[in-house]
Amino acid sequence: MALLVSSSRRDRTPARRRAAVRRTAGRSLIHLLLLVGGLLWLFPFLWTLGSSFKSADGFFSRGLNPFPDGVHLSNYSGAWKGASFGTYFVNTVLVAGGSVVLTLLATSMAGYVLARTDFPGRKACIGLISVTLFLPHGYTIIPVFDIVRGLHLLNTLWAVIIVQSSSSLVFATFLFMGYFSTMDREIEDAAKVDGAGFHQTFWRVMLPLSGPMLATVGLFTCISAWNSFFVPLVFTLSKPELRTLPVGMYSFVGQNSTDWTFLCAGSVISLVPIVAVFLLLQRYFVNGLAGAVKG
Amino acid sequence: MQLLDTATPKPPTDGLGAAHRAAPPKNGRWRRLVAGRLSYLYLAPLMVLLLLFVVYPIFGSLAYTFYRWNGIGSPGDFVGLDNFRQIAHDSIFWRAVSHTFVYSIVVVPVQLAIALVLALVLNDRKLRFSAFYRTLFFLPVVTSPAVVGVVVQLMLSNFGDTLNGWLLDAHLIGRPVDWLGNPRIALGIIIVVGIWQTLGYNLVYFLAGLQTIPEEVYEAAKIDGAGHVRTFVNITVPLLRPVGLMIVILAFIGSFQVFDLVQVLTGGGPYFGTEVVNTYIYHLAFGGNQAAATEPNVGLASAASFFYGLLLIGFSVLQVLIFRSLAKRRAAGRA
Repeated sequence: MALLVSSSRRDRTPARRRAAVRRTAGRSLIHLLLLVGGLLWLFPFLWTLGSSFKSADGFFSRGLNPFPDGVHLSNYSGAWKGASFGTYFVNTVLVAGGSVVLTLLATSMAGYVLARTDFPGRKACIGLISVTLFLPHGYTIIPVFDIVRGLHLLNTLWAVIIVQSSSSLVFATFLFMGYFSTMDREIEDAAKVDGAGFHQTFWRVMLPLSGPMLATVGLFTCISAWNSFFVPLVFTLSKPELRTLPVGMYSFVGQNSTDWTFLCAGSVISLVPIVAVFLLLQRYFVNGLAGAVKG
Repeated sequence: MQLLDTATPKPPTDGLGAAHRAAPPKNGRWRRLVAGRLSYLYLAPLMVLLLLFVVYPIFGSLAYTFYRWNGIGSPGDFVGLDNFRQIAHDSIFWRAVSHTFVYSIVVVPVQLAIALVLALVLNDRKLRFSAFYRTLFFLPVVTSPAVVGVVVQLMLSNFGDTLNGWLLDAHLIGRPVDWLGNPRIALGIIIVVGIWQTLGYNLVYFLAGLQTIPEEVYEAAKIDGAGHVRTFVNITVPLLRPVGLMIVILAFIGSFQVFDLVQVLTGGGPYFGTEVVNTYIYHLAFGGNQAAATEPNVGLASAASFFYGLLLIGFSVLQVLIFRSLAKRRAAGRA
């Protein structure tokens, strides 16, 4: 390479041209490998999508072949109505939506006052929140169950929403605290000059300015609540009509082990919404993850 | 990822806090408390949720470890440290621990190796569609392990054109493999799916780490005539080490907590052959398909969980110590 660079007519030498060709060929090979690898990587999803359109016979005869033997949309109506996936879907939307709202409210408000105001006990609060990260998180579901029972929330979706939200509170609070602490003080001063009180400064000025962080925390919460398995499993053991999609899938396998195509349609119903949400907002998700590890 | 975010932000210098601090501090604690009332109001929802659903349960479950209790009514049968003794002597617990460790010891290095190679390829600025490929390989992360488990179960079932059929045709196997019925193979399947599902996190982490390395360093290396391998060994690896350490720790923490995938794919079976610690605890607390012979024992489950928590803390400390001593030795070698 060094020799080539020193050559004055470097673009015209055959060696240079050969190197360029080789580089292009190398790039194409990388693209080919990435594309084929990526398709194989997503094969389980492609197979599920294809199989959700198969007939019952087609499902048995085609096996791992992802291409359906027709477009049998009845799988979807069957899964939606017959196998209760419609109910599960509504429950999952409520759980994910409720968790996002609850988490965003609690953590943005707390992050704001911890970062921007001073009051007796502020450091103690930050200390308490930090310590919970390091306590051994054992099997705490039984005490949680007791509290939910004490609040008379057993057998409601509220139980799932509140318990699910509480799992990510600390992380989200730290994200908001970090975000608000970097904001310019002049913004608050300007709001004050305009006559904004404490509430108005937060709700009308600071919160709208924290849009990217709202998106990051909201997306993290939404994805983990949508996919959550353990919490909804435990809190819906005696109330099948409150099941979310992952729990519904799990119990469906246990009970009706013949309607495989319904199960594939159910998988698509479970996977597509969250994948779509991710694709729309992935910038915030990936930036949030990257920020976390860079520290 | 949480560990890094515990750094407290700069204390507020003079923002709204000062504006709403109606009286100067010397007027006493009470006035400051009153002045901060809106701050307390804003903090209240978080603190209530945290105390009720995070802090209290940790100590609550610790209290249960001293009782034999099926989870109904209030615990009455005090057994002291018997639960811990029973766990320490339960061979199924130790098998569950060993399965969890096998899972982690295979998943973490394999996954990190694949993720690093992919990250190196995708980090090339001249590579077009790099973000598209990243999304492609990241996608399994945003899907539910429970749903993935069901899908994998369906894919492995013995209908039509199956994996078994292909392998039989290729004479790679003599007879159909019972993928989830043979404990060793089932654990292997869980490991493969585990690698596939969480690789995306590490890909994004490594990409973030690679982007912290300034382009000029690579250019300087190129001018000095360093090849790809030497650049990787002498520049990429050392500069990636701080982020890499975090990635390794996070990967281990995540893999030690595996539950959803195992519960859905095998339920810990057959015959506890794929039981991991979290499914073991779940079966103790709620009864299970195979542990059904025993009645749920919340005290025993809490003890197992607490015991495992201590094991993990011990492991984390060990991990940090090993990394630190390695770093010290390297520094000494360089000096």
